[in-house]
Amino acid sequence: MAEIAFRNVSKRFGSTVAVDDASFTVGDNEFFCLFGPPLSGKTTILRLILGLEQPDEGEILIDGRRVNGISPAARNVAMVFQNLALFPHMTAAGNIRFPLIERGVAADVIAARLDDAAGKLHIGHILHKYPAHLSGGERQRVAIARALVRDPAAYLMDDPISALDARLREETRVELKRIQREAGRTLIYVTHDQEEAMSVADRMAILDHGAIRQIGAPREIYDRPATAYVARLLGAPMMNILAVEAVSAGAVTLDGALHPGATDIGLRPEDLRLTPWTGAGPVATVAEVEPLGGHTVVTVRAAGSILRALLRGQPAFRVDTPVLVSCAVARAHFFGPTGQALSFSGGTA
Amino acid sequence: MSAIRLDQLGKRFGAFTALHAMDLSIADGEFMALLGPSGCGKSTTMNMIAGMERPSAGRILFGDRDMAGVAMGRRGVGFVFQNYAIFTHMTVRENLSYGLRMTGRPGSEVASRTAATAELLQLTPLLDRPSAGLSVNILQRVAIGRSAVMEPAIFLLDEPLSNVDAAFRAVMRTELKQLQRQFRQTMIYVTHDQLEAMTMADRIAVMDHGVLQQVGTPLDVYNNPANVFVARFIGAPGMNLLPGVPLDTGAGMAVDLGPLGRSPVLPPAQAAALRGAGGPVIYGFRPEQVALAAGGIALQTEVIERIGARTIVHFSGPVKVGPVKVGPVKVGPVKVDGVKAVFDNDLALSVGEVAHLAPHGGDVRLFDAATGRALGGH
Repeated sequence: MAEIAFRNVSKRFGSTVAVDDASFTVGDNEFFCLFGPPLSGKTTILRLILGLEQPDEGEILIDGRRVNGISPAARNVAMVFQNLALFPHMTAAGNIRFPLIERGVAADVIAARLDDAAGKLHIGHILHKYPAHLSGGERQRVAIARALVRDPAAYLMDDPISALDARLREETRVELKRIQREAGRTLIYVTHDQEEAMSVADRMAILDHGAIRQIGAPREIYDRPATAYVARLLGAPMMNILAVEAVSAGAVTLDGALHPGATDIGLRPEDLRLTPWTGAGPVATVAEVEPLGGHTVVTVRAAGSILRALLRGQPAFRVDTPVLVSCAVARAHFFGPTGQALSFSGGTA
Repeated sequence: MSAIRLDQLGKRFGAFTALHAMDLSIADGEFMALLGPSGCGKSTTMNMIAGMERPSAGRILFGDRDMAGVAMGRRGVGFVFQNYAIFTHMTVRENLSYGLRMTGRPGSEVASRTAATAELLQLTPLLDRPSAGLSVNILQRVAIGRSAVMEPAIFLLDEPLSNVDAAFRAVMRTELKQLQRQFRQTMIYVTHDQLEAMTMADRIAVMDHGVLQQVGTPLDVYNNPANVFVARFIGAPGMNLLPGVPLDTGAGMAVDLGPLGRSPVLPPAQAAALRGAGGPVIYGFRPEQVALAAGGIALQTEVIERIGARTIVHFSGPVKVGPVKVGPVKVGPVKVDGVKAVFDNDLALSVGEVAHLAPHGGDVRLFDAATGRALGGH
């Protein structure tokens, strides 16, 4: 078991600040996601936990023990690499045993741990196979088993499924969640895919230029983003963010008053309603209709703004036809001049 | 002139048949996606259209002109690969204008076309930057621009977005669509990502095991899949497919789903299709087209993925379908690791709870369990 904590950790490479005063605590057995765009500091944080980098400032604690300066080998955290890095000339069992043999662990202990890991990951039937004869998902399990037999306090994964194709990714992320739940242990997971992060994480940290902008359960952050930056990172299509003037110019009709002090308004695509418009006055025009089957993304141009609406089913909107865009004010997010969220009632439409 | 016709096109590599006699007509100015899993023959098809591979059988026609023996460079096609090939010692501008300069266009034309393409792909601020050191995202944009600037009548793209990150992929989908609208090239787009095909293409050619499975508009293939492969491959998640046998309940036709009980009674069109079935069937329904209602199929909630606007619920109950025979090849077995349903984000359901899933009757699709083919017209 392990709790991992960062207290005001900073890391610089020359003049680049890779991690900027980061503080967070990952609880025991938690599936914790580090999420952000490329170069936002996710991988550096993993390397700091592993001990491959040392912080310039701040403290890193594993189970309450300060590990600054302690070697990677003495930290007891295991990394599952992006390419899974299985030895092709060894069977699955050989791969899983390898880290223990290297450490000189007794043969009976190795056998017991292999048994235990194989049981937890449901791979007993493929232990005799070579990596070339395993499916992507099976290789994933073997790589995780190899990390687990070391009995690490926590394991870390750096974008482990980004190389898989779309369909396999959707299946594997659910599998990973299941594995972590069954095998236990703290898991710290890096991804740049917002859907994947929201799917797997118990909690997540949103990174931007090395700084943590928000920490919370995916649903919490999605519903109550702390800033416009965070709001746009989660959700596909991304949140529509308009200057408040666009609302008075008629881009969207709200059923209530704007938040005083707001400079921008954020509207989730799924909260927008589109109605065919036959009257006079300023209206929006359909610019693009993208059918997804179960949902439809309709892009509209309105009062100089572009808005995307995510509608259920297959509504028959046609390009270049006028529509009225409306949203319940209770579903609107309001942001101040620096992008901070002013308030969000979280009400239902 | 830029219409393309594949006439019984086939390709063998030794004993392996990569593509079985494929017929496909692509209209001038059409955006056609070739969609399928890896190894389905989509890239082989594309390579033959480009002139990089020679067909083992059949013909490729551009307009009425047979392309047999016409070299790649003389086919007038633009090509963008998954792995962009950018000259790293050149600036973005030099890369974009490379093709025009090689064909000896006047300097003023080179400059104006390069500028227009850069503007369209949002590369204007980067024009004088060296290509080395630019992100993968930007390099792929440059690669697309370098082909687009030639204004080819036929534009072939082979998985151009599979190496860029998820957020950028969404942006590029929109841009590629706009690019194609503006220039009206005939576009053939190879992808394994059904979302890319659904959102960009005028029509989708779904392929598997070297066999063309279905051609249709995105909503055609989503609403009326020709067989179980297409049903599973289109949609995120794909269609739920449960094996069963026709059952006349007295109150109407339903499907006996074995251990999962019986389906709700079917509306007339589906009931007629079911009556026409000779034997076991596959009962198909989309994860988005279900309601939680009494009388639905009882399933245990196993995993709940709350991903923004959507909540995907995975129900337990491992079910396997197939393998089934579709045309000359076996498809599957179609692995069904459980039933999935998609709800809005305000769903009140928790892990372990038993849910009663009632597919919308009119959206249920039925397939012949022996052949995997769709039953009846719905």
